[in-house]
Amino acid sequence: MKNKILKAIQSHEELAHYTIHIELSKEGIVTLRGEVDQWQHVVDIGHIAAKVKGIKNVVNDITVKGITIPKKDRSEEIRKVKASGHVRTCDVVIIGAGITGCAIARALSKYQLDIIVVDKNSDIAEGATKANNGNIHPGLIAKPGTLKAKLNIKGNAMYTKWAEELHFACNRTGSLGVVYHQSEWYLLKLLQFMKITRLGYLFKPLRQAMKVPGLKWLSGQEVQKLEPHIEGKPCGALLMTTMAIVEPYDVCLALAENAVMNGVSYMLDTEVIDVLTEHGQVKGVMTDKEVIRSKYVINCAGVYADHIAEMAGDRFYTIHPRRGAIAIFDKSRKGYFNRPLVSFSRTRGKKQHSKGGGACMTPEGNLLWGPTAKEIPDKEDKSVERTDMDYIHALGNHVTTNVKPSEIITFFAGVRAADYKEDFIISMSEKVDGFIHVAGIQSPGLASAPAIAEMVEDMIKKDQGCLHKNVHYNPIRKPRGKFRHMSHQEQDALIQKNPLYGHVICRCELITEGEIVDAIHGLIPATTLDAVKRRTRSGMGRCQGGFCGPKVLQILARELHKEPIEITLKGSNSYVLQKDNRR
Amino acid sequence: MKQEFTCIVCPVGCTLTVDEENHQIKVTGNQCKRGLEFGEKEYTRPMRILTTTVKIEGSLHKRLPVISKGEIPKEQLHQCLQALYELSIKAPIKRGDIVVEDICHTGVNIVASRGIEPLIND
Amino acid sequence: MKHITIDVLVIGGGPAGLAAALEAKKQGVQEVMIMERDVELGGILQQCIHDGFGLHRFGKRLSGCEYAERFIQQVKAHHIHVKLKTTVIDILKDKTVFAMNAEEGMLKLQCGTIILAMGCRERTRSQVFIWGTRPSGVLTAGTVQRYINIEGYLPGKKAVILGSGDIGLIMARRMTLEGISVEGVYEIMKSPGGLKRNISQCLIDYDIPMHLSTTVVHIHGNNKLEGVTVAAVDDKRQPIEGTRRYIPCDLLVLAVGLIPENELSAKMGIEIDPKTKGPVVDESFMTSVEGVFAAGNVVTVYDLVDDVSITGEIAGRGAAKYLQGKLNQDTHYQMIHSTNLINLVVPQRFRKNNLENHLTVYMRVREEMKKVYIHGTMNDRVCLHKKLNIVSPPEMVVSNIKKEDISDKGDITMAIERG
Repeated sequence: MKNKILKAIQSHEELAHYTIHIELSKEGIVTLRGEVDQWQHVVDIGHIAAKVKGIKNVVNDITVKGITIPKKDRSEEIRKVKASGHVRTCDVVIIGAGITGCAIARALSKYQLDIIVVDKNSDIAEGATKANNGNIHPGLIAKPGTLKAKLNIKGNAMYTKWAEELHFACNRTGSLGVVYHQSEWYLLKLLQFMKITRLGYLFKPLRQAMKVPGLKWLSGQEVQKLEPHIEGKPCGALLMTTMAIVEPYDVCLALAENAVMNGVSYMLDTEVIDVLTEHGQVKGVMTDKEVIRSKYVINCAGVYADHIAEMAGDRFYTIHPRRGAIAIFDKSRKGYFNRPLVSFSRTRGKKQHSKGGGACMTPEGNLLWGPTAKEIPDKEDKSVERTDMDYIHALGNHVTTNVKPSEIITFFAGVRAADYKEDFIISMSEKVDGFIHVAGIQSPGLASAPAIAEMVEDMIKKDQGCLHKNVHYNPIRKPRGKFRHMSHQEQDALIQKNPLYGHVICRCELITEGEIVDAIHGLIPATTLDAVKRRTRSGMGRCQGGFCGPKVLQILARELHKEPIEITLKGSNSYVLQKDNRR
Repeated sequence: MKQEFTCIVCPVGCTLTVDEENHQIKVTGNQCKRGLEFGEKEYTRPMRILTTTVKIEGSLHKRLPVISKGEIPKEQLHQCLQALYELSIKAPIKRGDIVVEDICHTGVNIVASRGIEPLIND
Repeated sequence: MKHITIDVLVIGGGPAGLAAALEAKKQGVQEVMIMERDVELGGILQQCIHDGFGLHRFGKRLSGCEYAERFIQQVKAHHIHVKLKTTVIDILKDKTVFAMNAEEGMLKLQCGTIILAMGCRERTRSQVFIWGTRPSGVLTAGTVQRYINIEGYLPGKKAVILGSGDIGLIMARRMTLEGISVEGVYEIMKSPGGLKRNISQCLIDYDIPMHLSTTVVHIHGNNKLEGVTVAAVDDKRQPIEGTRRYIPCDLLVLAVGLIPENELSAKMGIEIDPKTKGPVVDESFMTSVEGVFAAGNVVTVYDLVDDVSITGEIAGRGAAKYLQGKLNQDTHYQMIHSTNLINLVVPQRFRKNNLENHLTVYMRVREEMKKVYIHGTMNDRVCLHKKLNIVSPPEMVVSNIKKEDISDKGDITMAIERG
């Protein structure tokens, strides 16, 4: 097996000269060591090893000459927390308040379980969730036979109920995969034939497409009728009717708020610095503040899932961060497209390690281009480079050349938590009982989230034998009226009831002081400028907070009984103001 | 001695050349009379208008903008600022009210650049 | 919902709105109302505590707030209605306006005329494509000005300023006086964007270096700004490799341009000039929607507040005439075109019989030129020929064309001719 891996690596010319040490465990886990010249080679070697038949996963410790990723020494912190003697107890600790962690928390809140969600950030969804393009993928592109493929289709369908119960915007618009060449149109039609006759089941690469419901084949004319602004003259398109689009942050907040309603506790600004185990059994976690003892620890730590797994003594995968950048356009393009669009044409869209990537309309009406996909060494590197924008521009140009980059109001990046098998890892640890891996969650993680949560729920149910129902469980999270979507009469009535709604703070997005105060005192309180922005959209418009920023800062200070200099943009040391200038 | 300045009196921004021969100062490059005066002063003793804010209490506003009623020698600006930064005044105040008389013995008064109403508690 | 009927509604209580309201009232309009979203009148002038305002109008170097207060006092004296902390959220073509505030709730106004005076907003970091992360400590110049001058806080210790327009220069001095160390002013263009006198009194006075043809190419730091990378740029404004330099700082001040604020105008279907980014206006500063006027920076960004006030007065007079039925609207518009050395022209069109003595034309040139003629032609006949010692992009060229030199038919073409 080792030789097989070595051979596979050496068959690539640019990798052949490296000396790579390979270790193989009896469970089929490969550990790679060595030094290479560039980061892309680390990733390539990891992928090559993962593809070798029989390999379960890859721990990639290959380093790059000149790049050191410092590892934090936690021993001093651990000593301090131990000495402090602060201990609390619960049943389940969920590490990570992203979409997966929040979905699992809500799913488990159906039972009589004491659940704590911890996150090192000052707000929920601060990781990959907030930088997602909100596409609830139909599941066509997932590799057949993977866990992703299964959970994607299932999760997609579950969004309808989620949206009904949690009241977030979920536009099931469908998406269009457009082709521009006759030959590609024939290929698409061939797929249709395979689907109708069910012959596709005979060919492994087509099996996923056989399972995806709601596929329709449209002629070029039909495409142009559905999407008048689409570029050029398409030959036809595959309409994937199950594609939906959401605001990822809204979904995460809805889940978290509903979880809190049902008794879950959130501890933000709290970092896990150790996982406690005894005799092959998890005993809880140690955070930078205290010890939390628990029966289960669920690792939803995104890009840091491998670090947490290592703390638990069950490291069998490496997360290699893959950055994705997105550009958001001015709302003046509202309604420009009706559904997510992507070019399936090879001459237009160069295939990369990315799901989708194209143009879509967010539920609020912003045109969105992206995301990109770039392998990066640093998990915290959320910078956007010129090359990202060039790629985004190309993605957008595949479906429209009328929209200009000058209409972009903001761009940002998130980091996907990819493992080398490029699949989800959702399993009870084989080494540490009670420790559950929910790792490698990248696209289609948002679409799969409901199914992932259900899978973890079943896992704990099975492990526990029987779980008592939480009799107070209420799946409904009431909608919070959005001022900007109301009629003038409704707006007037609301202001009469609470004058704070009469004070517009964000002119671009029409956000009132009432909504901002609500967000600050919500079930998951917004304590930073960015947290307020994501909950209310204040500062998301074309002026990007230039006008409302100082006002929101004042409101935050007032409501939280803090000084303005204590208010941050996004937690940690991200202070906006340095000092009072006359004191 | 010959020196070049940009006139700051108006937005035109003439480039002035100031020449001194036998204690006679000659300004060229100006397009108006004000430039002549500025060039001479800038050569002998540069003067500036000073604007900043001072702390104000008893009002919705936290800072009162102030302006020097005349020009202040450039080298004394810093000293004047320090004096103003120590200050705290009370609302109400009217535009033009003197905030500091004869600041740092420059002979120039610092006045309020706007009016500020007191906070009304109801 | 409260209903209000008003003759002239002015949206925005900054210099343009103040001048427009005042002029409309002076021209005999009964009910004039200013709507302002902030807690007081004056607009952005209230945070412009530096001097240099009103030299043309008052013959004095006033501070921004002093300039504003002179108008505000007149507005009070003339019994103009003022609604503060009130935001206009919708304007319909029939001049119905929806506005709201905390005390009264939603207001529905039926207006005889409307004057748009919403001013402008600042371009942001994303709009000028500065790469890197999104930490705190990256602020527009206007926001920094507000924090320091109005709220009394310093947003950093060491600042880099991008953009050498007047706002960038003024903030360099202002921050220095407050004890913030200003590392330098960076300008992507070959020449400074601001007035010479501001370079002199804001940078040279305090030994702050200006780096031309240089820009900020990268922002560093995940939570708080840690530094920026600057680089020299070539003729196509692309960074030149080998010139990159890292500057540690905790504040990046962006003074990268202003854009007229026209959400409300565009929403109601007013024609927008892609060059000015503001409404197409005529000699009376009336927009493409009859009875709706625009004034000040909402039309195009002016460099002097004196000009903003003048356009406010033109619009105010126009609105009064419109109400009194004295504004001719029957004849076809004559257009004002420009040749390629001129970037933009305001107004874009006119009706000759609405002119009093002359037609004032505002123009912005594309590059700095010395000893030129500003040249206007109409039907191959010269209607304006004026020598100018220097023209440059930071300073608007303002020319008056005499009414008697304007033909009854045909368009005007404005051009710059080199000496």
